[in-house]
Amino acid sequence: MEVLKTEALTKIYGEGESKVTALDNANLSVRQGEFAAIVGTSGSGKSTLLHMLGGLDRPTSGKVYVEGKDIFTLKDEALTIFRRRKIGFVFQSFNLVPTLNVYENIVFPIQLDGNDVDDKFVNEVIGILGLADMQNRLPNQLSGGQQQRVAIARALAAKPAIVLADEPTGNLDSKTSQDVLSLLKVTGQKFSQTIVMITHNEAIAQMADRIIRIEDGHIIKGGEPND
Amino acid sequence: MTKVSNKKVISRLAFRELRSNRRMNIVVILSIVLTCVLFTALTSIGGSLINGTQQETMRQVGGDRMAGLKCVLPEDYEKVCEDSTTCDVVYRVIVGNAVNDAFKNFSVEINYAGDENAAKASFCNQTTGKLPENYDEIAVSTLVLDALGLPHELGTVVPVTLNVDGEVSEHEFKLCGYWQGEKVAMAQECWVSKAFADKYAPTPTKQFNTLEHPVYAGYWQVDFNYANSWDIEGKTNALISRLYGNSENAPDVGINWAYTTSNADSGMVVGGIVMILVIFAAGYLIIYNIFYINISANIRSYGLLKTIGTTSMQIRRMVRVQAAVYCVIGIPFGLIIGILSGKILFKAIMVTMNIYSAASYAISVKLLVMICLASTAFTFLTVMISCRKPCKIAGSVSPIEALRYNETNINAKKRDKKTRTISPLSVARNNMLRSRKKTIVVVLSLTLSMVLVNTLFTVLRGVDMDKYVSAQIVGDFIIMHDKVSTLNYDDQHALITPEQLEYLNTIDGVRQVSPIYFRRGKLVFHEEPLERLNTLCDKYADTDEHGSLTNAKDNGTIPTDIYGVTDDVLNVLEPADGKIDPTKWQSGKYAIVNTYYLGAEDEKGEPLYSVGDTLTLSSMKGMDEDTTKDFEVMALCEMPYAISTQSYYLFGGQVIIPESTYSEMTDNRNAMSVMMNAEENCFDDVDKQIRYMTDRSDSQVIVKSKQTYLEEFSDFTKMIKLVGGTLSGILALIGILNFVNAVVTGIISRKRELAMMNAVGMTGGQLKKMLMWEGVHYAALTAVCSVIIGFLLDNVVVKSITGDLFFFTHHFTFMPILICVPILLLLSAVIPSVAYQTICRDSVVNRLREN
Ligand SMILES: Nc1ncnc2c1ncn2[C@@H]1O[C@H](COP(=O)(O)OP(=O)(O)OP(=O)(O)O)[C@@H](O)[C@H]1O
Ligand SMILES: [Mg+2]
Repeated sequence: MEVLKTEALTKIYGEGESKVTALDNANLSVRQGEFAAIVGTSGSGKSTLLHMLGGLDRPTSGKVYVEGKDIFTLKDEALTIFRRRKIGFVFQSFNLVPTLNVYENIVFPIQLDGNDVDDKFVNEVIGILGLADMQNRLPNQLSGGQQQRVAIARALAAKPAIVLADEPTGNLDSKTSQDVLSLLKVTGQKFSQTIVMITHNEAIAQMADRIIRIEDGHIIKGGEPND
Repeated sequence: MTKVSNKKVISRLAFRELRSNRRMNIVVILSIVLTCVLFTALTSIGGSLINGTQQETMRQVGGDRMAGLKCVLPEDYEKVCEDSTTCDVVYRVIVGNAVNDAFKNFSVEINYAGDENAAKASFCNQTTGKLPENYDEIAVSTLVLDALGLPHELGTVVPVTLNVDGEVSEHEFKLCGYWQGEKVAMAQECWVSKAFADKYAPTPTKQFNTLEHPVYAGYWQVDFNYANSWDIEGKTNALISRLYGNSENAPDVGINWAYTTSNADSGMVVGGIVMILVIFAAGYLIIYNIFYINISANIRSYGLLKTIGTTSMQIRRMVRVQAAVYCVIGIPFGLIIGILSGKILFKAIMVTMNIYSAASYAISVKLLVMICLASTAFTFLTVMISCRKPCKIAGSVSPIEALRYNETNINAKKRDKKTRTISPLSVARNNMLRSRKKTIVVVLSLTLSMVLVNTLFTVLRGVDMDKYVSAQIVGDFIIMHDKVSTLNYDDQHALITPEQLEYLNTIDGVRQVSPIYFRRGKLVFHEEPLERLNTLCDKYADTDEHGSLTNAKDNGTIPTDIYGVTDDVLNVLEPADGKIDPTKWQSGKYAIVNTYYLGAEDEKGEPLYSVGDTLTLSSMKGMDEDTTKDFEVMALCEMPYAISTQSYYLFGGQVIIPESTYSEMTDNRNAMSVMMNAEENCFDDVDKQIRYMTDRSDSQVIVKSKQTYLEEFSDFTKMIKLVGGTLSGILALIGILNFVNAVVTGIISRKRELAMMNAVGMTGGQLKKMLMWEGVHYAALTAVCSVIIGFLLDNVVVKSITGDLFFFTHHFTFMPILICVPILLLLSAVIPSVAYQTICRDSVVNRLREN
């Protein structure tokens, strides 16, 4: 089943001379449970694509379907709620709410929805990510990599259908990177989550089911699922 | 060289930052303008008052020079001219006085003015015509012309009876110039020509000496200035010893007391200083707050600057340069608005005081420059002091900390992690708790302006018209001697004849005419009062009152004011003890006696009599020394000030008895004063008819009407309401501006954080609600703090200050706070919405990318 699909997705920043076509007619489809890695040079449009997929930004033209639903027909409020139920995000940088401690950050989206926290699962995630000792710390008391791990935990804690991660391992050493990746894969399989991840690390990209390659806003490889 | 260029870099950086931070610019500049307006208005009012009083004193004195030599010779003039410390030296030559009959109400001097400047220096420079040149020419003030009944026309013949040191001669001059006479001046000046002066007052050959040579004519009066008015007396002494050594024949000197007497009384000075401090506090609060908040918001960029090598000195200088730029922009506006509003307010004050000649109170260019300089200095100082602490914060930030800085406290408490659900309210509360310092700064500064407004309002509201008026007058009219309180002998108090009383009774529309008779007599003591007197004597043994008390004890009597009144007057009495029964009282067996004043006005000694005691009056004038009359004390009560003699004994009695009894005891049929009430709607008619009697030129009585007091008072209240209202308005504005700034900055500086929360699922609505809750928290905390601090301040400070004012009734009120809180709540609902809407124009992704 296709859980994510884009149609002629185009994003143009700016106007006139400073116009940048960050994404040009991108067609992409991702199946449920798939683990896809997006690779490409810096500035090629990877983050832009990911933001569109998550409904964080509206495209200049084209459509994004999540579980068959055209998400940009939703109003902002509805889109936000949709996002927090369906999608877990890990950003490239500055991920956490500075006034909330680690635990609160992790369960923030769940509590926003007024749902009970699945403590067993959350603790498991926290354990795997090695955050058990720092649950009461504030983000500014964490290292960059620790902050990144908290963000990953938050993305997973709500058990979203889709996890979108923008270089989640950018700040991590290779050992931890491997662990985090394994966790992503395992939970992904366990809850049949779909994972789309941006990475610069070829070794990590190789762990994915599929590699999507972007150059200058064009998807040049891996737009369709492998068969 | 390097130093210079590095300064340039810093100021370039400062300007860049300024340009990128428009909102802060507007808020800071606005608050600087407000502060400057307050300072300027205050200094221009104060400056005008002080300068005006000085000018008026000069006009009274009749000269604007700082010092002068009296009765000297031309050679002394030369000496003074040559001295290096003096300037603007002028001279007059004394001729004599004009003693025409027409001048019996003021003195008129005849002098020769050395030149135009000499005339100007004594405010007697002809505005029409010229100074005399020919022998028979004269220049005088319009007051002199008016007194002589002459037209204001050049060429008019002016008859003068001239007295030159006792020799009187008649002259006729031709008017060659005149000027507007100054009523306040101690003497009117007439200028004659040199030819005339030489003839009647030739220059003496001997030094002036009052003892052996009491002649003034022909001596010179030399007046001059120093570079500044500091220590005129010392400078003059130095001058004299320089010119004359210690010799016996040093001339008399005169110091212009317009320069030396303190021009403002201490109350005004204290008031001025308090106002300056209040304005400073208000200005400090908002400017400090804005800098603090904005620097906290920008702390990352300061950290970055440090990381790349900017020293903390340089960062501090950068902030200071910014503050200076704000001043340069804000202060001129503030000065202009401040001077204009100061003018308007000052006019209002002048109108209420209505005693000043406008000429003295015009603002001169020099004064204007001084006002501008002072206000600029005050404002600049306020800004610089306000941004000192924020400067330090910016300068002392450690680069790494700054990069992670998000205004949160480091210590996060371990909390129960399981049960909490997140709502906009809980997140808001969390935010407030985690950035406690900012919360405190914002709340405290808001509180301060609220408390100031509240206190001001309490004071303004406490001004009590009834209290003021009733202290001045009872009934609708009082007719009495115009200087009743300065009179000492009872005969003079009794001025209103039975015929006049008759006339007053026949006026149409009069409801009530109550004469008040007054005599001075003695109270004779019997056992009980005497005993009480003994106690008092012991109690006040070490005070000034002791003398009067022992006197009374030794004599067995005290001097006493005896009032004979009709029973209408009983209605305005407020007995401190006992009950007044008019029918019983009319029988003539009862009297009302005062409680006793001892020492300070509010410090009443115990009464000598209590209700039911027997009281013995003696020594009424026109009555035998030994004749006494007994009364029973019916009540203890003071005569209302307005119908009393308005003078007090250090220790004396006051007895009120019925008019009929009074008449039996004395032969004086004249009343001291008359209290009158008019029928409704007849007030003006009655007023007119009373004035028909009192306005006659031989009348020594005047009428005081309630209406005039009400008007007088309403002018007064209007003035303080205008001044106080403006002040509290500006303070409130400062507070609100402060609040808006805090909330808006709080939102903008957390743009990225908010975007992030939005990205992980907090909806726009929830975010807005969260921001509103933060605003509501500020408002609520402010309200609580203001009420508490306002209440304390009121009880500790305001009560003690206003307690002494007789026209002040203190009632504390939270009204302004109650009015302000909904406004703050409304603002805390509206501003977050608007501000959030504004930042939402950017997409989430863009906001996330931003620094
Ligand atoms: N808000 C924006 N305004 C203008 N141009 C933008 C904006 N956001 C991105 N771009 C441009 O769009 C292009 C794609 O940016 P994007 O962030 O998607 O790159 P990326 O592939 O994620 O790069 P990296 O690996 O460095 O993160 C870049 O050329 C970038 O300059
Ligand atoms: Mg990117």
